[in-house]
Amino acid sequence: MTLDAKLWDKVLAEIQTEVSKAIFLTLFKNTSLVSFENGAVTIAAPSAMIIDLIQKRFYDLIKKSLDAHTGQTTKLLFVPKTITKEAVTEAPLFEASATRTVGHLPRVRADYTFQNMAVSTSNQLAYVSAKTVAEKIGRTYNPLFIYGPVGVGKTHLMQAVANEVYLKTPSSKVIYITSEEFTNEVVNAIRTNNTADMKRRFRSASLFLLDDVQFLAGKERVQEELFHTFNTLIDGGAQIVLSSDHPPSEMKKVEKRLISRFSGGLTVDIGPLDFELRCAILLIKAKKYDYDLSMDTAKSIAEKTQDARELEGILLRLITETETRGVEQDDVIRSGVLANTQNGGTAGFGADEVIRNTCNFYNIKPTLLKGPKRDAGLVRARQVCMYLLKKESELTFSEIGNLLGGRDHTTIMHGVEKIEGLLEKTTLSKDMLGITGKNYLSNVDYKS
Amino acid sequence: MKATVLTENFREGLTFVNHAVSSRSQLPILLNFLIQAKKGELVISATDLEIGITVNVPAKTDEEGETTVPAKTLFDLISNVTQEKLVLSLEGPLLNITGEKIKTSFSTMPAGEFPKIQSEKGEGMGVIKKEDMLLLNKVVFAASQDSGRPALSGVLITGMGGGGTDVVAADGYRLSLLKGFSFGSKKIEKLLLPARVIKELLSQKNMSDEIKLFVSGENSQAIFVQDSSTLVGRLIEAEFPDYAKIVPHDLSVTAIFDKNEAQNAVRICSVFARDAANVMRLTVKKDKVIFSSSASSVGENSVEVEAKVNGEENEIAFNARYLLDILSVMDGDSVLFEMSGPLSPGVFKEEGNKNFLHIIMPIRVQG
Repeated sequence: MTLDAKLWDKVLAEIQTEVSKAIFLTLFKNTSLVSFENGAVTIAAPSAMIIDLIQKRFYDLIKKSLDAHTGQTTKLLFVPKTITKEAVTEAPLFEASATRTVGHLPRVRADYTFQNMAVSTSNQLAYVSAKTVAEKIGRTYNPLFIYGPVGVGKTHLMQAVANEVYLKTPSSKVIYITSEEFTNEVVNAIRTNNTADMKRRFRSASLFLLDDVQFLAGKERVQEELFHTFNTLIDGGAQIVLSSDHPPSEMKKVEKRLISRFSGGLTVDIGPLDFELRCAILLIKAKKYDYDLSMDTAKSIAEKTQDARELEGILLRLITETETRGVEQDDVIRSGVLANTQNGGTAGFGADEVIRNTCNFYNIKPTLLKGPKRDAGLVRARQVCMYLLKKESELTFSEIGNLLGGRDHTTIMHGVEKIEGLLEKTTLSKDMLGITGKNYLSNVDYKS
Repeated sequence: MKATVLTENFREGLTFVNHAVSSRSQLPILLNFLIQAKKGELVISATDLEIGITVNVPAKTDEEGETTVPAKTLFDLISNVTQEKLVLSLEGPLLNITGEKIKTSFSTMPAGEFPKIQSEKGEGMGVIKKEDMLLLNKVVFAASQDSGRPALSGVLITGMGGGGTDVVAADGYRLSLLKGFSFGSKKIEKLLLPARVIKELLSQKNMSDEIKLFVSGENSQAIFVQDSSTLVGRLIEAEFPDYAKIVPHDLSVTAIFDKNEAQNAVRICSVFARDAANVMRLTVKKDKVIFSSSASSVGENSVEVEAKVNGEENEIAFNARYLLDILSVMDGDSVLFEMSGPLSPGVFKEEGNKNFLHIIMPIRVQG
């Protein structure tokens, strides 16, 4: 019981002694304290008429009692509200239907629903938009384009839309497909010279969800097919939901007319999962596995990684460890068994990732970075990469050298030193902020 | 206060207001009518704190004023008075009601103690026509009587924003769904109203041709305004279960039979069902439906009703009372009954009307 509720109980007990039983039962029995902030007390009563009676007759009595208990001069506000105790679902009629669960939808996981999705600031907009779309397919945001990095819940959200729509109106035709499968279908149809069937199938959908559209890049014939499917569906009032790792405007090797159509509805992004969200996800997943995960453990796992899939991986390891070996959660965490995940166990970066991110940032190919060429821009990128590898991984200079195309360890030492020297004077630290999301300026050792 | 009123008008007004008087309230003021004499009318109000009703009765008012009098006594008195006109006048703490040969005086309680029924009118949501309102008779009875389940004690009106308005009520064992209800509103998506409010609206003898609906979000009140009366109820703040997913599709067995015959059959079988937890069996045969019931200590009986049957022969058992309830509110002569097996809900429809259906959960019976 909360403090507020206790306070209200005390007040009620006092009122009970002051008023007749009849009045107490009729007026006060179903009241409750909603909030108590800065001396303003909000009290809920079942109807406006009850509020009117209470205010008319007992305002002073309640105020006196509240003042005495809180030691403040309070102000009373009343709101009409019934205290709902439970949501009803245990009625036989509703139970009978509960047995007919989702899962009929091909390729859609039944446990990806809105109900078991953790929501926080980073994905709230996407969540709400998706929910709106699921409630009124084809009538609000069309298409809905969701983008965001790996493992933040794009697919979960899309399949939740599919499940929700299917659950409500099982008769509606829902197609969920990944871009890869879509490509395969198109290619197959062309190969067997049977495009009519495929066209009919896709174009009859009332909800069409296409996952990971970035993989359509460079596949012109498939894009053309999608373009026509897209137009037919939208014209027919069907809902389209798309997901990608980049917003439409940044998609490469995708036809302009398709991009313009992608951005024709609502484009929402899902940011990286924040710490609280990761904790929430862990707790939800743990519940799914029927495992009693403590808050502290959840927190320490959430510190380890950004990716939702990896979170689940670590959780599974933890469950296996505790259940097969019979040790406590805390011990497992402390023993560091969970530490040797793919990233070396810290929220830092693997060597591959550093190289990949650097290449992406400077827009060069990894082969060039590792290659022998020594153009000015290339050299700078290579040195930044050396520096970051040194900072982010526990590799030795010669190991880094091997990674970067078999360079000598002295080359690496030089590169690292060079960057450290430049860090103060140039905007290099900003570059690196863009690559790893960390600030290295404070890391520099000043040699006086 | 002094006003003259026609007895017939007064009686008619009191009959409706009387619905809002709680029979067993522990607050004396709630056992009273509030009577206000205003210019050209008497305004009579009553409330049990859950709903409130106000009616306006045309009157000749000589002096404005207000008071409250015991509801039951006044109602009983006015029901029996034969005089054409009555004069109401307040004299100190007494309200005198006098007619040609009749003199009555009531002790009163001050009007100031009476709760304010309606603090603000709220926002106009739209108009419900009388003939549409009457359709709610087919829905409202399915709502739960149990106030411990707020959501199910209400009637849900939903989908006003577009896609057709549905009206639903369910008590967990049965559900009534009316589709395509002609009430649209741009301002609100759905309303969950206490079944009692709808029942009271339907119970009145002289319903206006149009009923205006207002909603005051701040007071969470729904206000139904008619030509000469106002009914105020609270909105239920609870989530109605997702009804769409329990509406069965493509049931394998369908039977069409005469409604009156079926109603008769159910009544006859009820005699025995009464002693056997109200269990009534429906056996679907090739060309008929057999209603039957048995009570071990009393006996048993069965009644055949001719039917056009599609699908396999089957059997199901329902609560007889639920069957009576639904058969008595259905329109048309023929009932379309659909089922898929003894353990899945059965569906009742009016033949040729796709906008109404009623679902009943079967009773599981041994043997």
